[in-house]
Amino acid sequence: MNRKDWHIKMNHIAFQHKERLILDDINLQIRHNDFILMTGQNGSGKSTLLRIIAGLLKPSMAQISSGHHKQSWPQARNMLRQRICYLHQQPYLFHGTVFDNIAYGLRRKKVPKQEIGHRVNLALQTFSLESLINRDCRELSGGEKQRVAIVRSWIIKPDIILLDEPFANMDKESRFKSYDLINQLQHNDIAVLLTSHDPQMGALNINQHLHLYQGKMVSKHL
Amino acid sequence: MEELSSASIQALTLLFSGNVEIWRIIGVSFTVSVKAILIATVPAVIIAFLLSYYVFPGRRLLIALFNTALAIPAVVVGLTLYILLSRAGPLGDLHLLFTQQAMIIGQIILSFPILVAMSHASLQASDRRAWETAITLGAHPLRAALTVLREVRFGLIAAIIAAFGRIIAEVGSSMMVGGNILNYTRNIPTAIALETSKGSFAQGIALGMVLLFLALLLNLSLTWFQGKGEVNS
Repeated sequence: MNRKDWHIKMNHIAFQHKERLILDDINLQIRHNDFILMTGQNGSGKSTLLRIIAGLLKPSMAQISSGHHKQSWPQARNMLRQRICYLHQQPYLFHGTVFDNIAYGLRRKKVPKQEIGHRVNLALQTFSLESLINRDCRELSGGEKQRVAIVRSWIIKPDIILLDEPFANMDKESRFKSYDLINQLQHNDIAVLLTSHDPQMGALNINQHLHLYQGKMVSKHL
Repeated sequence: MEELSSASIQALTLLFSGNVEIWRIIGVSFTVSVKAILIATVPAVIIAFLLSYYVFPGRRLLIALFNTALAIPAVVVGLTLYILLSRAGPLGDLHLLFTQQAMIIGQIILSFPILVAMSHASLQASDRRAWETAITLGAHPLRAALTVLREVRFGLIAAIIAAFGRIIAEVGSSMMVGGNILNYTRNIPTAIALETSKGSFAQGIALGMVLLFLALLLNLSLTWFQGKGEVNS
């Protein structure tokens, strides 16, 4: 299926942990170039939902389809992991340099070594992060880590990037730099779903706003 | 005191004069212990990984058993193996008693719980986001597992060094299942025990020096692998 025609539909998503129902009958569709903001209080189930969408957490129940085909969880999980990239609230950077981290996904895709170098350099230039290329990731600031993690996801060209509270604990300057970077994802044919406490995201090109309240999707509006 | 210093001088002379017997004993020690650690490490790390990342019935019991096994005395392992491998024992037909293979088996049994428990502790303290990040960046689960192991490599190296340190210095199991046969199963600890019982302290001290030097080397290498040796700011 053409990248532009590809979409993912997830219906009746439920997730229960022990006795507690964390997500209850969530329906969601993500299409090419969507930019979705998901808001909700702490504990409303945002991160759990993102991890299910990313194929990292098995839901108690869900109907998942891409195109016209409904898929079993193992099939869906593999498809989700191939097409979707998930960034934690505090992204994890592997031990090593910024180059090593950004090259990680390309190495997994068996991209030739010379091309990896070229593509990593290009990616860092595109997002004005070239000065960080040889920096040890442990020495980066929180904002720099966030941006490096976004570039690391962007470079493998997923269909969707999920960002879990990307602006939490960020100062104003870092926040604006990240806004620019996230807006660029959309220009690169990548759908974005991000979660936030703050519904005021005027600087982002959001086309859909979802709100979670105690595990339920309580409002959907553009 | 005088006796100790004169024995130490004799020990150094023995070591540096290229005494064949001494160096063969050192060779047996290293051959047996290196083989044991090489065989034990991979399955032990796999078990540690499974214990850390998968939830299955009996998991906690298994962790408790491995932790308990840390305290097993070498001589008990030696005795159990001796019974199993002796001619009348269930594994007597394998004719392994008083061979290097039997010593290797004993040392694998001794090192395994250390490797599992210490690797598990490292993996348990590791960040689950490393696994999820590797998966979400397109890594196959096996590749993601290798990435996580790389992230905790200092802990794993410490586990290997600690396990190696234990088995190269153990005497109980090697003595019982190896038989302390010169040029074949006599290793550093069994030789020290024998020479000391004969009152020949120089050779015992010489071999003790090798063990101490080895301990120093292991610790230096661990410190080197761990980098700066301080918490990152």
